[in-house]
Amino acid sequence: MSQEVEKYSKPTRILHWAHLVSFCILFLTGLVLFIPQLGFLAQDSVTRVIHRIGAAIFIIAPLIYIPMNWGATKRGIKEAFSWGASDIGWLKAAPRYYFLGDEKDMPPQGSMNTGQRLWWLIVLVSGVVFTVTGLIMWFAKTSAPAALLQWMVFFHDVAFILAGTMLLLHIYLGLFHPLMNEAWKSIYKGNISAEYAKKHHAKWYEEVAKGREVKS
Amino acid sequence: MAEKAILYDPTRCTACRGCQAACKQWNENNEYIPTVENGVQSANWGSYENPPDLSPTTWLKMKFREIDPGGKVRWLFIRRSCMHCTDAGCVKVCPSKALYHHELGFVAYNKDLCTGCGYCIEACPFDVPRSERNIFSGIAKMDKCTLCTTPGLDRIAEGWEPACVKTCPTNALQYDDRDKLVAEGRKRVEALKAAGWTNANLYGENELGGLHVMYVLDDHPSVYALPVNPQVSAATVAWQDAIQPLGWAVGGLTILGLGLNYLVARANINREKEKKDVAGS
Repeated sequence: MSQEVEKYSKPTRILHWAHLVSFCILFLTGLVLFIPQLGFLAQDSVTRVIHRIGAAIFIIAPLIYIPMNWGATKRGIKEAFSWGASDIGWLKAAPRYYFLGDEKDMPPQGSMNTGQRLWWLIVLVSGVVFTVTGLIMWFAKTSAPAALLQWMVFFHDVAFILAGTMLLLHIYLGLFHPLMNEAWKSIYKGNISAEYAKKHHAKWYEEVAKGREVKS
Repeated sequence: MAEKAILYDPTRCTACRGCQAACKQWNENNEYIPTVENGVQSANWGSYENPPDLSPTTWLKMKFREIDPGGKVRWLFIRRSCMHCTDAGCVKVCPSKALYHHELGFVAYNKDLCTGCGYCIEACPFDVPRSERNIFSGIAKMDKCTLCTTPGLDRIAEGWEPACVKTCPTNALQYDDRDKLVAEGRKRVEALKAAGWTNANLYGENELGGLHVMYVLDDHPSVYALPVNPQVSAATVAWQDAIQPLGWAVGGLTILGLGLNYLVARANINREKEKKDVAGS
C-alpha cells in the first residue's frame, strides 16, 4: 500500500459536508423563485420554511467550527487572501491542463491550488453576503424600508449566481474530472496518497514532509 | 379587446365609503370591528377615516386629508387601492406569476400561486399589496384589489361593473373602456381648469405606462399625497432586467463549458494513457 497523508481533519470534513448539504437545500429552494413553472413547489411558503432550516445549518455550522478549530480557520482565511505571481502562471497554464491533461507549465501548488483558492474566496465572501442579506430579509421583512429589502434581494441573487455556478464547477472537478481522482477521497476520508499530493499540491507536500502542521 | 379602467373623480366624492363596504362585502373580506370584546382596540386618531390603513382584508379604503393652503381649510378624499399599472412593478417581480396582466389590462391575481415572498409589496410604487407574515417561519400570503376578477367572485367576466363602482351613489367612480374614460377625464380636467383650478390634471393617464385606475385631480398630485411621477424602482429593474438574465446566461454557459471540458479532457487523457501504456509495454 502506498503512503498516505492527511489532507483534511475530521471537523473540517464535517463542516464541508454540513455546508454542502445546507447550501444544496438553499440552492434548490431558492432556484424555485427563478423558475415560474416550479412556483407550485413554493406555494403556501413551503420552500421558504425549508430554506430557513437550510439557512440555520448554513450559519450555525461555521459558528461551531471556528472556535473549536481556530488554527485551521486562521490558516484558511490567510490562504484565501494570499495571492502571488505563481497564481497568474497557474491561470495561464490551467486551460491546457484541464482540457488536455498537459501539466508541464503548471506551477507547484500549496494545499489549495489557485482555482481552489478562488472558489474558497467566493465561499467566504458569498457566505457573508448571503448571511447578512438573508438575515435582514428574514427578520426585518416587515420593518426595514422597501428599498433596502429590494437591494438585499438583489445582492442575495448576485451571490447566488456567483456561488451557485461555481458550486457546479466545484462538484464537477471533485467528482467527474478525469485528473482529479483523489479530490473526492481527501474530503470524504481525509487522506490522499503521497503520490497525488506530490503531483497536485507539491508545495504543500514539502511542508508535510518536513513535519509541519499544515492540514486544514 | 379594448382595455378597461376605473375613473375616480374626488370632486364628486362625498366619502360615503360605500365603495369600501361594497368591496369588502363582494370579496367576502371580513375584518374585526374594533370592540373591547374581541380584543381589537379602537382609538380616536383625529379622523373619520377608518380603518387606518389597507390590510389583507381591506383592499380599498377612502383616505381623508386636511390641508389649509392660504389659511383656507380643504377636506380632501382620495381612493386608496391598487392602481392597476401597465408597467406594474409587482407583476415584474412576482416569481410565481401569481400576479399577471388581465386581458383587459389590469393586474389580476391568482392567490393559490402566491408563495408569500413579499417582493410585490416592496416593488409597488403605491404601497398597496398587504400580507400578514409570520416573521419567524416566513409564511405569508399577499392580498390586494383584483378589480373584481378574483376567481369565483369574478364580476368582470359576467360583464358587470366592479363592486365599488356599482355602489357609488354620486358617480364619482365610473367603469368603462379606458379610452372613453381618458376622454371623459380630460373633459372634466378642462372644466376644472375653466373654473379656476389651474393645476387640475388627469392622474394615471400616462403614469407607469398608463394606470387602469385614473383620478381627476383639481390640484397637483402631491396635494392628494399621491406619488408624483411614480416609477418602478431601480432595484427592480436592475434585478429583473440585468441580474436574472445574466444569471441564466452564466449558469447555462457553465453547464455547457463543463460538459465540453468533460468530453475533451476524457478523450485527451485516455489518449495520453494509451501512449504511456504502449511506451511501458
